[in-house]
Order: sequence, then structure tokens, then C-alpha cells
Amino acid sequence: MDVGRHPKIRLLAYSEVEGVEGEMGNFRIRVRKKARYVDENKCTGCGSCAEKCPTVVCDAYNVGLAKRKAIYKYFAQGIPSVYTIDAAHCRNFETGKKCGLCSRICQAGAIDYQQEDRIVELDVGAIILATGYELFDARKVPEYGYGRLPNVVTSLEFERFLSASGPTGGHVYKPSDLAVSEVLATLEKQMRTSSREIERFEKTFEMSSERFIEKFNSGELTGGHYDEWAGQYRSFLPLKEKFKRTKERAESLKTAHRLAFIQCVGSRDSRFNGHCSAFCCMHSIKEAVIAREHDPESEVHIFGMDIRAVGKNFEEYRNRAEGEAGIKFIRSRVAEVTENDSHNPVIWYEDTKARQVRSMEVDMAILAVACEPGPSARRLSELLGVPLNEFGFYATLTVPPLDTFRPGVFACGCAHGPMDIPESVAQASSAAARAASALMGARSKEQGAGSGEQDAESRKQVAGSEDHGAKAKKREAGKGE
Amino acid sequence: MNRDVLVIGGGIAGMQASLDLAEMGFTVHLVERLPTIGGKMAQLDKTFPTNDCAL
Repeated sequence: MDVGRHPKIRLLAYSEVEGVEGEMGNFRIRVRKKARYVDENKCTGCGSCAEKCPTVVCDAYNVGLAKRKAIYKYFAQGIPSVYTIDAAHCRNFETGKKCGLCSRICQAGAIDYQQEDRIVELDVGAIILATGYELFDARKVPEYGYGRLPNVVTSLEFERFLSASGPTGGHVYKPSDLAVSEVLATLEKQMRTSSREIERFEKTFEMSSERFIEKFNSGELTGGHYDEWAGQYRSFLPLKEKFKRTKERAESLKTAHRLAFIQCVGSRDSRFNGHCSAFCCMHSIKEAVIAREHDPESEVHIFGMDIRAVGKNFEEYRNRAEGEAGIKFIRSRVAEVTENDSHNPVIWYEDTKARQVRSMEVDMAILAVACEPGPSARRLSELLGVPLNEFGFYATLTVPPLDTFRPGVFACGCAHGPMDIPESVAQASSAAARAASALMGARSKEQGAGSGEQDAESRKQVAGSEDHGAKAKKREAGKGE
Repeated sequence: MNRDVLVIGGGIAGMQASLDLAEMGFTVHLVERLPTIGGKMAQLDKTFPTNDCAL
């Protein structure tokens, strides 16, 4: 991507802002550049270190559906194309064991276990907050069973299932079936170790295990190694049987045919977030369409109170999904998701058009989880002295809409509020233009012409009349009276 | 008076803002918490309404 190459962009990845001082035109920023334990200038991104690394960790990029090593690149095409050691899992750091495999294998000599966090000081004139969002933790809605029922997944997990470069290669297998293949792998490993032991005994005593066990049972051979051999052999037989059964199950794996998308999980719900997360209706429709493209036989239902397809060509997309792709929309609010004997989720819902409570068995349920402000929003809001609104996103002026309450600081994208990609991009360009004009304006003010003053005046006015937080408080106070 | 800009967050919004400012001639410092820029969008397979690839 161009960001990594642009001569005017200095990329500080794996870094966090720790301190902000000064004002518009003269901010002094302290950034902590976290230690990667890999020299960014030397690493070529070849990946031989990760190939050899003995430690396997859950992969955050694939939302825990796949594994990565303790030395890793966040994702294959990632920029900067540099590996990072996850000090929380690496043997060298975690247990103090001497491993050092990656440093021995690295031809570029980029591994540096002694690397330390570095503080970088920056002088800037304006700040743009594009800190994005976090997804709602669906475990907080116990009735949908996420985390408890294996075949209930979130929209982002389903995205990784659909991705051709994802952990399942684009096939939508039921997670409960995927667990079978994992069990199979463990069983195979156990069996290999066990059979190697048995072979060793057979070689030493020059006897087949079947013959030995007969003799052992009749009491002809006892003690020491014979007891060990018998124990090993006896535990091997049920293992073999279990492996055979599991293998049969794994070979009959079918992809999920019946899919249910459940909308508004954690959003438009007074228990969690009052706001609408804006993009999930379209996100679910898109995932439904792609799932149907992958498997035209599949039956796809979307359960939602309403479909909010607001945006250029979005309503047309929704209609095509219903007409051409054959996706069924059910106006409802799902009450509960239970599970039957074959781990299939059962959706219990009220069909508000038919005015009936119904249930439906599916292979997989996908939860459209809400967009929430990330933890960094709160931290940065305190650091920068930029207030948050009632939902926890950065509070901004009514006009101009991307200016925060601190001059020279602008917010865009999902840090501003939930929005889809095209809108994020539009806001980002807009915030860039605002920052540019603020800097140019400040410069012209220095020269004597005051265009920035107007801004400050409007900020005062708006802060007085339109502060959402104050307004909400007033409303609450009014109720009390 | 400093004319550099700090962009916090290397997702789609942060990247777009950085590129725009850089094209305008400003020096941009882009700070990202994770080892890699790209944000949530890099985790998506395709995007609506055109079903284009996200990466």
C-alpha cells in the first residue's frame, strides 16, 4: 500500500501516544514505540523465523480461528512487512528458557532480544483521531449462546470463514465439525507416540504384540518391562478405535447449508448500546450474498427488526439480495438461541408479520455484533482533553462536524461514530482538509489576518448550546423535577 | 508554528487522511497500536455494495 512508501508519511507502527502538550500549531507529542525485538531496518519479512518458531499462539487477525507463531506478522500482506516477537508468548521472554531459534535462523541478523521500548518526541500542528472501533463482546448476551454454543459465531469470524485466504480456505465448515479435525490431529499424534513405544518393545523382545498379550494374560510373562508393554498395548487399542471413528466423522464433514444472521446484537438494545451500529445490516446482507455465491444450495435467513440500507446503491443491493440471491428477510427480534443434539443452533423468534412465535433449526448462526468505541478512545480522550459523547465516541461540534472540542484536534471514521467504509473514507479526506485549513489558517493568523478566530468563536457558541452531554444531563434533571 | 500532522490510528480512515495530507505536501506522522496498519478492513473479505476485495 502507498502509505508505507510515501516520502511524506512517517509510519510509527506498534506505537502508542503517551503524552500531549501544547495547543493547535504547537503540539508536543510523546509516542512510545514498543519493542518488536526485531530490527525494522534489517528484517526482510522472509518468514523463516516464524517457520521454525516452536511456540504456537491463537491468531488475533483470524479472530482466534487459526494459529500463529510467537514471532509473527499480523497478516501476510501487512505493512510494514516486518516480523514482531510476541513477548507475552515467546519462550525467551516468558520462561527465560534459552531458545534463540529465530535469531539463529535469521539470515539478516535482525533479531534483537535486548531491544527496548523507545520514546519518540514529535512536534505537530494538528492531530487527527482515527482510532476506529471495537466489536461488542457477544458473550454479554447470554441468550444467544455465543462462547457456549460452538456453531454461533460473530460477523467478523464468519468473514474469516468466507475469505479464500482465511483459515478454512473459504469453506464454511461448522465450528463444531472443525473441532473434530483438531481432535483427530491430537489423536493421531498420541497414536504415533504409542505405536512407536510398542514397536520398540516388539523389537527388543522379538515378539508381536498380539502374541505377547496372550502370553501375558496367561501369566507366562510378568514384571518390569512386560507390565509396561501390556499397559501401553491395552491403552493403544481403544485409542485406535476412537481414531477410526473420529476419522470417519471428519471425512463426512459437510459445509453449513442453513445460515441465520441475527441483527442488532448489542446495538439498539437498551441494556448495552442505545445507538444503531450503522453498517451491520449491509454487512450481514453482504456476507449472506457471498455465502450463497460459495454455495448456491444454501438457505440463508436474516432476522432483524428492520433493514437499514442507507447509502448510495445500498437499497438496490438489499433488493438484489432478496430477488436474485434468494436471501430471506424475516422481520423479527430473536429471543433465544438453543442447541439440539447435533450441535445445530435453534433460533427462537417472534415473526412480527405473522404475529407468531416460531423456531428454526440452522447449521450456523451469525451474530451481527455492535460497533463500540475502543478502549483507546477513553484513554486518548483523557490524554488530549477531548470529551466523549454519551455513547463513548469523540464528541464533535455540530458545525464543522469533524472538529472536536479542542482546537486543532479532529476526529474521523468510526472514532467519530459507527459508519461504513465509504463514509469513513469521505470523513478522513474531510478531516485531512480541515487539518490543512487549520494549519494554513493559523499561519495566516500569525501574519495578521485572522481566519482562525471565527472558528474559535463558533466553537464557543456551539460548546455552549449543543453539548450533547450537558443536554442529556439537563433532560434527566428535567425528568426529576 | 508547526505544519506537521499527527494521525492516530492506521485503519482505513487514518490511512486515507494521511495520504490526503501527504499529497497536499504536509509531513504526516501515522501512529498505529498494532504491528501492522490496515485496521479492521484488512480482516474483511469483500466489501459492499460492489463485492470488491477489501485488501
